[in-house]
Amino acid sequence: MRLNHPKITQNDITPEELFNKRRRFLKLGAAAVVANSSIVELLAKDKYPTSNLNYIKDSNPSDLDLSTFDQITSYNNFYEFTTSKEKVKKLSHTLNPNAWTITIDGLVEKPFQLDISDLIKKFSLEERIYRFRCVEGWSMVVPWVGFELAKLIKLAKPLSDAKYVRFETLYDEERFPDQSRGVFSSIDYPYVEGLRMDEAMNPLTLMSVGLYGKTLENQNGAPIRLVVPWKYGFKSIKSISKITFTNEEPLNTWQKANPREYGFYANVNPNVDHPRWSQAKERVLGKFFKQKTLMFNGYEKEVASMYKNLDLKKFI
Amino acid sequence: MIRAAGLFVIPLIPLVYLTYAVMIAQVNDPIKYIYSITGSTAIVLLLLTTFLSLIKKYMNFIKYRRMIGLYGFFYSLLHFLNFYVFDAEFKLDFVIKESLDKPFVYLGMISFIILVFMAITSKKTLYSKYYKYHRLLYVVLVLVTVHFVMAQKSLSIIQWVYLLVIIILLGLKFYQKKNVLFKG
Repeated sequence: MRLNHPKITQNDITPEELFNKRRRFLKLGAAAVVANSSIVELLAKDKYPTSNLNYIKDSNPSDLDLSTFDQITSYNNFYEFTTSKEKVKKLSHTLNPNAWTITIDGLVEKPFQLDISDLIKKFSLEERIYRFRCVEGWSMVVPWVGFELAKLIKLAKPLSDAKYVRFETLYDEERFPDQSRGVFSSIDYPYVEGLRMDEAMNPLTLMSVGLYGKTLENQNGAPIRLVVPWKYGFKSIKSISKITFTNEEPLNTWQKANPREYGFYANVNPNVDHPRWSQAKERVLGKFFKQKTLMFNGYEKEVASMYKNLDLKKFI
Repeated sequence: MIRAAGLFVIPLIPLVYLTYAVMIAQVNDPIKYIYSITGSTAIVLLLLTTFLSLIKKYMNFIKYRRMIGLYGFFYSLLHFLNFYVFDAEFKLDFVIKESLDKPFVYLGMISFIILVFMAITSKKTLYSKYYKYHRLLYVVLVLVTVHFVMAQKSLSIIQWVYLLVIIILLGLKFYQKKNVLFKG
């Protein structure tokens, strides 16, 4: 048998130029792979906002499963824009949360007005991961950033006969299109909410200015909103322009609209149905299967004592 | 022929869209979304069946009325199944309790039962015997309109328009019926 060494001809030798080109091409390929993964990483980051707030992180001790930034910012009840939860995001660009003053008045030592940025500067911010349960039956988990309402109340120095805190959303037809629709408005404006003083002072009650580490999106109630995690979402009033201390129970918007269905308290309660639907379970955003709703939305330990003398079936 | 094929395919568009929205686009609140799409499609199709006799003089689509009506029933069936499977999670006691308890639910339930009856008796052999009861569709239309309004927390302008269209159509129907009665 004869070993037939193939003859290497000039034609078989890769020219240096081509050889280098090939190396460059391979390098490019490797670079592309790296770039690809960093692009994926960037895209993933893009799903979550860049943080622009300084705050103390919540360690999430009860290990709540956070809703995504996209879910939290794409499904909002904000009737000042539209009753469609999907369309609020797109329509809320007129809100202009930077030009914003907040008024604190009523039964306080000295009523005052403050620019929103000056107000926020007075408090150190912290993250609070809370369950959020809408009266309509859907729910999510939101990493809010804000400060306790109690701290703001201490700053406001209410008089001793102040028994309630009343909140008002800004009334400005230029910024909130549904406010200018007259008889065709979906609800009465300005939107009003209220808390009893002990509820307002509860350490869970938050004034939120951000979520996922970033300043609130317009659709979530920029520049400042209330978050009361053991109550149905409509209590957590958005885009607040006025806080009034009073000795009368405020007539909140939804109670005024339909007192048979919505009350002042609106505590989350799986045992008391809404007249039109059951409140025993909730639809977690993005999930097909419902989960059980917890008494006081899972904050029974922290808040139940405030209602021990209240008939929860009557005071809805 | 093309017209028939078109009429057969068009009512399927909402279902295709819904499947896309729920499975691929993954809407945030799928159960709610299925209610909205199937419910509004059913109302529109059922209204359309009554509308066909209204425009008979100009365009005669009467022979498609049964098919469109059955499509309306199909969407109301999906609407009911959404309630039974996803909302009630197959719990019959929950379905019964809610149906007896809540006007919002029993209005829908009564309408659905009437529609089941109509779908069954729309078979040629049965229709000749039961067609007079198919006027119950007007009861259904009134009930589902109330049901639709009750599904909202408050009515926005677009829903007022929707409601106005429903009321005008029903009004025209009744007006036409009255004329027919007077003319004998």
